[in-house]
Amino acid sequence: MNEVVIDCLGEACPVPLVKAQNKLKEIGLGDVLIVQIDHSCAMKNVPEWARKDGHNVEVEEVDDGEWEVIIEKVK
Amino acid sequence: MEATKAFFNKLRDNDIYKQWFKSPLTYVAGAVLLSVFQIITLAVTGNPWGVSGVFANWGAWAYEAIGGSVDKWYYFSSTGAQNTLDAGILNHAGTMRNLGIVVGALFATLMASQFKIKKIKSKKQVVAAVLGGLLMGYGARIAFGCNIGALYSGISSLSLSGWVFAIGMFGGAVVGSKLLVKYFM
Repeated sequence: MNEVVIDCLGEACPVPLVKAQNKLKEIGLGDVLIVQIDHSCAMKNVPEWARKDGHNVEVEEVDDGEWEVIIEKVK
Repeated sequence: MEATKAFFNKLRDNDIYKQWFKSPLTYVAGAVLLSVFQIITLAVTGNPWGVSGVFANWGAWAYEAIGGSVDKWYYFSSTGAQNTLDAGILNHAGTMRNLGIVVGALFATLMASQFKIKKIKSKKQVVAAVLGGLLMGYGARIAFGCNIGALYSGISSLSLSGWVFAIGMFGGAVVGSKLLVKYFM
């Protein structure tokens, strides 16, 4: 199981979402993608997309206005 | 000190706090609230809701403050526009509303404990922001409205112009998205 982190701090919508979508295509099954964001609308649309796509998703608030969206690729 | 910390830790896990201040509203709730308040805006001020036109007035007042005059400018040539400028910034409903948006957004983000000064990631971001801002600002003025004044208020007052604006904006958004993917991914 690999863990891939993408740093989207300081980036506004829809950049974090598109970056996460592209990266998720590259990684293998069972790998974990961690998207670091500080844009609150990405905190909504990144998990929404990943859940709709059927992956396991968790959002963690790591600091004031900073989140990590943790996506486990399951298919 | 310990007591305050304990209080805030408790507040953080409080369901009412989480629901009202922490989690974002649903899109439907946001849409309904926006609609209600834009109706109130129209009823109270007599003008439909707009955002970017206010910036042009701010520019005019700033220019007048350093001794300039916009009397002869086509954009401000109507009696209505002159009256608004003469009445001053403190009597300008749009100014108060825009400041309200800024203060309200700040309040909301502070209440959710999500305030953060974001770093600038690259020079590219600066160039894109400045270019995009200038294009949007200029475009909004020659179109006599932005996505709020021309699109949102236009459509909600059953004006055909709002729909024409929507077609133009859709085309612009397609081009903008292509550029975004090309230069920012």
